[in-house]
Amino acid sequence: MGASLSGLGAGPVAAESASPDEELIFRVGVLQDVDNLNPFKGITAAAYETWALMYDSLTGYAAEDFSPVPRLAESWEQSDDGLTWTYTIRDDAVFHDGEPLTADDVAYTFNRVLDGKVEQTNYGSYVAQIESVEATDDTTVVMTLKKPTPIMERLAVPILPKHIWSKIDDDEVAEYTNEPDADPPGGIGSGPFVLEEAREGQFYRFSTNEDYWGEVPVIDGVEYRFYRSADAMVQALKNGEIDFADDIDAPLFDALEGEEDIEARDSVYYGWNYLTFNSGAALTDGTPIGTGHPSLKDPRVRLAIHHAVDKEVLVDRTLGGRGSPGTTIIPPLYPEHAEPADPVTYDPAEANRILDEAGYARGQDGIRTMPDGSNPLVYQMYSRQNSETSQSTIQFLQGWLEEIGIDSTAEVVSEGRLYEIAGEGTFDMYEWGWVSEPDPDYQLSTMTCRQFSYEVANGTVYAGLNDAFYCDQEYDRLYQQQATELDSERRTEIAQRMQLMLYDSNAYIVTEYYNYLQAYRTDRFTGFVPQPDPDGAILFQYGTYSYLNIEPVTEGAASSDDGPSPGLIVGGVAGAAVVAGLTLWLVGRSRRSPHADVE
Amino acid sequence: MAVDTATAVAASAAPRTGGLRRFVGYRLLSGLGTLVFVLLFNFFLFRMLPGDPAARYRAVKNISAADLARIRAELNAPLLQQFWDYLRDPLALNGISAWKGQPVWDLVGGRAWPTVVLLGASTVVSVLIGVWVGIKAGWNRGSRFDKVSTGVTLLFYATPEFWLGLLLIMCLSSGIGPFPGIFPSGGVIDSGIEPLSVDGALSVAEHTVLPATALGAVYLAEYSLIMRASMVDELGQEYLTTARAKGLMDHAVRRRHAVPNASLPTITLIFLNIGFIIGGAITVETVFSYPGLGLLTFEAVSEQDFVLMQALFLVFTGSVIAFNIVADIIIAVLDPRIRT
Repeated sequence: MGASLSGLGAGPVAAESASPDEELIFRVGVLQDVDNLNPFKGITAAAYETWALMYDSLTGYAAEDFSPVPRLAESWEQSDDGLTWTYTIRDDAVFHDGEPLTADDVAYTFNRVLDGKVEQTNYGSYVAQIESVEATDDTTVVMTLKKPTPIMERLAVPILPKHIWSKIDDDEVAEYTNEPDADPPGGIGSGPFVLEEAREGQFYRFSTNEDYWGEVPVIDGVEYRFYRSADAMVQALKNGEIDFADDIDAPLFDALEGEEDIEARDSVYYGWNYLTFNSGAALTDGTPIGTGHPSLKDPRVRLAIHHAVDKEVLVDRTLGGRGSPGTTIIPPLYPEHAEPADPVTYDPAEANRILDEAGYARGQDGIRTMPDGSNPLVYQMYSRQNSETSQSTIQFLQGWLEEIGIDSTAEVVSEGRLYEIAGEGTFDMYEWGWVSEPDPDYQLSTMTCRQFSYEVANGTVYAGLNDAFYCDQEYDRLYQQQATELDSERRTEIAQRMQLMLYDSNAYIVTEYYNYLQAYRTDRFTGFVPQPDPDGAILFQYGTYSYLNIEPVTEGAASSDDGPSPGLIVGGVAGAAVVAGLTLWLVGRSRRSPHADVE
Repeated sequence: MAVDTATAVAASAAPRTGGLRRFVGYRLLSGLGTLVFVLLFNFFLFRMLPGDPAARYRAVKNISAADLARIRAELNAPLLQQFWDYLRDPLALNGISAWKGQPVWDLVGGRAWPTVVLLGASTVVSVLIGVWVGIKAGWNRGSRFDKVSTGVTLLFYATPEFWLGLLLIMCLSSGIGPFPGIFPSGGVIDSGIEPLSVDGALSVAEHTVLPATALGAVYLAEYSLIMRASMVDELGQEYLTTARAKGLMDHAVRRRHAVPNASLPTITLIFLNIGFIIGGAITVETVFSYPGLGLLTFEAVSEQDFVLMQALFLVFTGSVIAFNIVADIIIAVLDPRIRT
């Protein structure tokens, strides 16, 4: 689109002549910046998306259901004991600089992560069970494991060119920008798109890799543009500056529906929100910490509170209906999700009955106390500063708890502060969210006993991942079992049992699975591929399916929004008219007002 | 004040140049002192910020507990040791941004030129128009021009920048009704264009029109109101009567006598503002996703990037101090009375 925006000076003739052979660039508006192009350093979703364009990994995730699919590894097989995995690397993959990609590059990448420090940050969990990685010939990589693990089918590590990265030593890697002008030149991968231009804080531009081993994309390139204001991003979509707007919030999204030439799409997503209880904060060694209310250790109290929460109302009122009521900690779009047979319903009467029966009698002020009459049930709650959903969820919760004789105070804090509060156990309940990846291992690990808070030398306590302080030996045993189970059906069974254990003990109340809101111009590209099929997101997936498959809507459709120069004239006239009108009006006012004073 | 200041300047300037030199030297020295104080103050300021900078790593699913502990250990080093590290590199010359992983001065450098462009465009426009309107309105106090312009400028003065910015985007970027949008809604330059070329300059200009208008409107209003007030103050002065008595035409009285005297407060304000706008365009730059220093500040604070904040605050303090000194010197040159 470069030539079309010279509207300030260049005449319309120049713009017209540029349009026939204009490049077909897919322009995506995003709100979150790429923090770092270096695949060992960046951590934002936008950074992961750029690596997905630039690099290939051994295996990928299917568009239909996230199941493992071959990418650079054409095929793989495991030994009977599951400890030796042999990957056959395709022989037609070539790096953007023309060097062929071989098994040597794969082994190099994995060994770099294995031996690395910085390199472990993003990919450590993939190699945790790997003993050694070796390229036995140009197309064969053999990995030896300490313990069998199903993660070997989901090795989402970007394969880097050895001939470039071997020039960057262990110290330099922390500061390597991986941009085209870096030394050695960055961005070289084997993926479907080639990094052309990186402007920190502004845009990243990619061209299509014409030598890609897979089917070469129809589009000529991709460009990410960063917007720090969602309003501005949506306006840019409306006026055709971008073709796609990612991660829009609900009010703006609602306003887009019915807009001409724009499809606003809400997709099922793997992010969800929850309410957690302080059911006994402690360090990993069992030392109790924090200020949790003793009543919350009682599963009956947690069940009663679960009955008091109306998730339909939360979805309706805090998400504008764009989501679904939650149950377990693996979201329903993954095959491993378990749906409880007998879900906890919204039933305040039942909640009151449970609490009465358990002996938490109401005091004179209507607030319940512990069965021995001590400790009125007054809970300290927290919500997240950066999330309105979080804040209104806690407000609703306070109202609902009042109905069942539980009083509360609530505070809004930053996520950083909430992380500290979680670690120190100085809360009774709070609202936060998770985003779950396709492999259930990580999400399930968050509820193991090992993930309690831990103390470092100077007495400071840090949060683990387990912010419900749920600890069950049987759950931990099942966690270990699923981590080494190579049969996917049996593993799913175990994962589902674990989710239901959590659900039945009311460790969390999963309030809602929220949708992902995206919008695109229907007059530009078509053929977006959802993941999972058919209701999933169409960009920012586990894979690059939409980028590979989209096509222009019609021949020369791009020229429709190519007329800033006539626009400039019309707009200038309009602007002048507005200014003139305003001036006349003000003059008229000031002329009238003295007379008014006289009369 | 009853003396014609122009002659006063002429009479006193020659023997007092030593005074000016001493004045400038004194101002530079005290500016340096302020800078040192701010450097020390900034250290404690950032460390008083609430929150946990390591919490951003919670999003990194694969970070090991040991790595997290290492990051935390750096953040939790004893304050004295951190202060020592800070003093060894107070300008953060070797600082690496925790958020972007790049040397902070590379980041700041890359973001400086858009801010300078934006600042330059908005200052030129707001000074030229604002001062002209202020002079005209003040000189003809009570005229229709005065009433209209005071009304309009008050309206601009009271308008929040971000709101004006959003309004501009909606009207001139998206287009209203049959009128197409004409300006881009964000960024500073299009991709695939070399900034130091004709196309690059045009692209930057196109991207700068709206943010510069939003930023300039507020300052324009400020300059015109201050200029008008100073003009009104001068209106009744006896030296103007004297000037008229000499037989000068009205516009000559205004240009040669009233305006030079009335412009001192505005000049001071303009230079003070330049110092502040360098860091103060945060809202406008955020609304227009304009990748300058203001937006970078917003990002540094939201990412809790201490080293980056340190470098940015240094730039801002430096610019405020520098332009203060410039303003002082210019005033001292224009008006010898204040060289003490």
